Amino acid sequence: MTQPIRTFCGIVFAVAVCLSVAANSAGPAASNTAASNTDSLVAAMQKELNRAKTDLAKADPAPYFISYTSYDQNDLQIVASYGALLVSGGGHRRNADVVMRVGSPALDNTHLDNRSSGMTSGLLPLGNDPNAIARVLWELTDREYKRASPVYLKVKTNTAVRSEEEDKSADFSEQKPQDHKDVNLPKFPFDTHSWEDRVRRLSAEFRKYPDVYSSSVVFTISKSEMSYVSTEGSAVAAPATMIRLIVQAETRADDGMDLIRVETYQALTPDQLPAETQIGADIQKMAADLTALRKAPIAEPYDGPALLSGRAAAVFFHEVLGHRLEGHRQRGENEGQTFTKKVNQVVLPEFLSVVDDPTMRQLNGTPLAGWYEFDNEGEPAERADLIEKGVLKDFLTSRTPFKGFEQSNGHGRGQPGLMPTGRQGNLIVTSSKTAPDAELRQKFMEDIKKQGKSYGLYFEDIQGGFTLTMRSLPQAFQVLPVMVWRVYADGRPDELVRGVDIVGTPLAALTHIELTGDKTDVFNGVCGAESGWVPVSAAAPAMLFSEMEVQKRAQSHNRPPILPPPTADAQSGANR
Amino acid sequence: MTRLRLLLRSFGPPFAVLAALVLTIAFAPQLVAAQSGSAASPSISATAFPDAARAAAQSDPVLQAMFAELDRSKAKLKMDGVQAPYYIEYRVTDVDSDSANAIFGALQLDQRSHIRILRVVVRIGDYKQDSYFRGGMGVVDFAPYENDALALREQLWGATDRAYKAAGEAYAAKQSLSKQMTLDATINDFAPAPAIVDVEPLVTLDADGPKWRKAIEDASGLYRKFPEVQSVSATLRFTAMNDYYINTEGTVARGGWSSYTLATIASTQADDGMTLARSPFDMVRDPKELPAPEQFLVEAETALKTLTQLRDAPIVDEEYRGPVLFGSDAGDDVFAELIGANVLGVKPEPGGTARTVGDFASNYKGRVLPDFITVVDDPTVANFEGQSLTGSYKFDDEGVKSVPVTVIDKGTLVNYLIGRAPIRDFPASNGHGRAVPGGPAVPHYGVLYLRSSKAMPLADLKKKLLDMCKDAGKPYGYFVETLGDELSPRLLYRVWVSDGHEELVRGATFDELDTRQLRNDLIATGDKVQVRNREGNVASSVIAPALLFDDLEVKRADSTKDKLPEYAPPPIASGSQ
Repeated sequence: MTQPIRTFCGIVFAVAVCLSVAANSAGPAASNTAASNTDSLVAAMQKELNRAKTDLAKADPAPYFISYTSYDQNDLQIVASYGALLVSGGGHRRNADVVMRVGSPALDNTHLDNRSSGMTSGLLPLGNDPNAIARVLWELTDREYKRASPVYLKVKTNTAVRSEEEDKSADFSEQKPQDHKDVNLPKFPFDTHSWEDRVRRLSAEFRKYPDVYSSSVVFTISKSEMSYVSTEGSAVAAPATMIRLIVQAETRADDGMDLIRVETYQALTPDQLPAETQIGADIQKMAADLTALRKAPIAEPYDGPALLSGRAAAVFFHEVLGHRLEGHRQRGENEGQTFTKKVNQVVLPEFLSVVDDPTMRQLNGTPLAGWYEFDNEGEPAERADLIEKGVLKDFLTSRTPFKGFEQSNGHGRGQPGLMPTGRQGNLIVTSSKTAPDAELRQKFMEDIKKQGKSYGLYFEDIQGGFTLTMRSLPQAFQVLPVMVWRVYADGRPDELVRGVDIVGTPLAALTHIELTGDKTDVFNGVCGAESGWVPVSAAAPAMLFSEMEVQKRAQSHNRPPILPPPTADAQSGANR
Repeated sequence: MTRLRLLLRSFGPPFAVLAALVLTIAFAPQLVAAQSGSAASPSISATAFPDAARAAAQSDPVLQAMFAELDRSKAKLKMDGVQAPYYIEYRVTDVDSDSANAIFGALQLDQRSHIRILRVVVRIGDYKQDSYFRGGMGVVDFAPYENDALALREQLWGATDRAYKAAGEAYAAKQSLSKQMTLDATINDFAPAPAIVDVEPLVTLDADGPKWRKAIEDASGLYRKFPEVQSVSATLRFTAMNDYYINTEGTVARGGWSSYTLATIASTQADDGMTLARSPFDMVRDPKELPAPEQFLVEAETALKTLTQLRDAPIVDEEYRGPVLFGSDAGDDVFAELIGANVLGVKPEPGGTARTVGDFASNYKGRVLPDFITVVDDPTVANFEGQSLTGSYKFDDEGVKSVPVTVIDKGTLVNYLIGRAPIRDFPASNGHGRAVPGGPAVPHYGVLYLRSSKAMPLADLKKKLLDMCKDAGKPYGYFVETLGDELSPRLLYRVWVSDGHEELVRGATFDELDTRQLRNDLIATGDKVQVRNREGNVASSVIAPALLFDDLEVKRADSTKDKLPEYAPPPIASGSQ
């Protein structure tokens, strides 16, 4: 498999619109029946799992592991633009994943590229009818067996024929069964009408800004109860909630460059979102930024000192480092394996440490989107001390072992329908060499002068990025900045520029960090990779790089709109 | 950068239509150079809208907002170096949809949605040669489903701008293409059409959601009575669509359409692994015509019964060539697939020399059916024998009034069904340009029916079948009651000459059931018709009788058998729920 794996973590590209509305828009069942609903669902799953285990033991080859995971999800999505709703709807659905492994933990059907043979997914009936639930699980299990068993036979044959693999680790780690029940979904209502009003109002703010050619506000609220049972004896019920408000605004410079500003607000409960007035103020700033960007000069390709804000640095670390520490990337001959052989070696400046801790709900009062109790393989979330004082110590592991790392640390994550793999949760970068903002900026200016450059670049915000990790491609990454300034050595005011992307190769880039700020900023978002989209966060202080490379962003050359927007043209008696 | 980029998470069949939508991303890598070309087309900025159009637009807030933006665009949309448009159209489709799926007696999927899709087409050039090509074929986006004039105009403004720029690009591309190859200059790109003003009443969904959810649960719950059936599910899909359409030729139109569908889907395997399925459905336009829930349950139960009978039916393993009788239900499918799909006048790609697509592409004015058959498509017919027709419409999706069209006259092909994209010998639309919400209009039938001068009762057709078999020394003939996908038989019977009894069989297929067979081997039709509202991206109704063929080949289907389940289904525990 040589196609590039692009992991795109971004807020812009994660706008998923669901076209369904709950039959009664009052929202999910009241919490006092939530426990009993989950109980009967889990009981039905457990009973059918036991039956499948017994009956399929007679098959040849027989599976050695089966698990059932259901995601009982209620969600609501509201999209508005320019003061009117485009979509408002939600629903209740139950995704079910049947995971099956045939063979033995040493070698099974999910070996290397065959991961996807390990899962068959479908929709479970809603409600509490155990017969209906069992019957659908039976259909899915039978289908999964017919998928997994021939793949195992193929794997068995290939392994004998193929040359010795470099990493002879097992295909499935040994873990203790888990028993955990948490049905306490946070109690907040899906107050549809109130949210519709709010989203509508916020979208109407853009009527004041004729420079903004297109805008939208997307609000998503979801509550999900994950229930996991396995033939190893695990029984886990864990809730997950996500609230996301994304405000997006676009304009276009006279030379045709499309310019975009996106603000994402992400939390675990609605009361954690900022007040409407704050969001309104942010909208005003977005519009002002776009107006400024329209007039800003285009940046030139550049290689020199750079200062990244905390948020920009956080995304940088997510793309450049975080993805390369995902467990499954350390195995398989097609992977770049940037850090695989660097355990116990220095990979960062020694004043930096990095942990990934999904057990943290918030950092300094900011909610963290990557919080979870149990991963999608039913393993408890654990704090992973990835890099200690610059030395690589650990990876983000799932139940897929690789050389030197035979155990999961609870980072086996994925969206329903896709086999989990090692993924980030809350990536937190800390520094022991910090300086307050003023001093950081001063050091930045010194660097600029020392290198004989007329300016350095300051990256205030980014919208996302992607990274390439396959061996067949350059081990490159690209982070997409939004607000970038030239900081001049001669002290003249900072100048906004447009049209740049940060590029580079990971090993080199990370070694150029000289100094950090003393405050930590959080970036909440969603991250997409092989196992789908998962909510994540990254946190870091501002960072001074002695060297950073930028390239010009590809741009379109369409002209700005020919006619002014309708706000400016309120004739024809057609306004409300 | 993307416009409002929306990933439509497809929830299955109800959203097959919407999931096919793609938002056009108007990235034009190169500015269009100055246009040469004919200035022969009338300037739309100079001509005023007719008063009737203007007045009609004021009667509805959506039309009003569309009209205001179109008016402004018509007057002022012009960029340096590119011709002003000679034609602009706006279409907004409001889709209100209620759907649910039940399996094994329980609801599995439950959705209600209300959205509006807009589509803008800007054409530059003239009716002879224009920009409706590649990227210039329209821009699609979401529109607010709430009536807010400014918000709707904002969306239309953005889409119009993108559509105009894309048209500029496409026009340049087409002109450069015409330098590389000879394009047929005798066929225009776009047919003018008389302006119509027609504002029909809005339609709304009118069905009892909870009642029908219970009905599909009950139907899918019938699996308890039929242990030999592996899977039973049932679906409801209720849709109300309102279309708003205006163009710079002065057409202002609003029309509503609705459909109510109930379906049961059952499948199982014979002991040898052969997959068998039944999927009866009811589709009506008027909700009062839906069967009562008890009746729906009876239909489901009948289907399940035949499924168990099919399991025990013998496999067709000897070849047969001789008379075959299709009942009207099967005849309807044959007619739709073999006639409906082949009488469409589809404009070929630039440089293509064929007249159109399909089996009858080269048969204009030639015989395609026996001379006792005449085929008509008449979307103006709203009801037939007390049944409302979903394929009926007053004006098509290009704002052209629908008219009856005789496509085949006593066996001779005399017309194709066509929209506003002319084909050879057909310079004007006959009101058959039809589209999915947000999609481009393409030719499609609406209400297709036939007249036969050799019609007789089904009993007589069966007798004729047996007589023909007897004369040929065959012990049996075949009777097809129902077809599945791609005209494969689902309920097929051997009719024995000895005593006329009918024996259900399975695993057969027709060898070469195609338009040639229809033309040469169709010898008589039934005198009663099946009225079927058909599923598909574009609504249609087909009204067809039984069909008797004198010479059709029936043989064993080449199907690989699926493996049977590895283990038995879970026993049904009583006292549940």
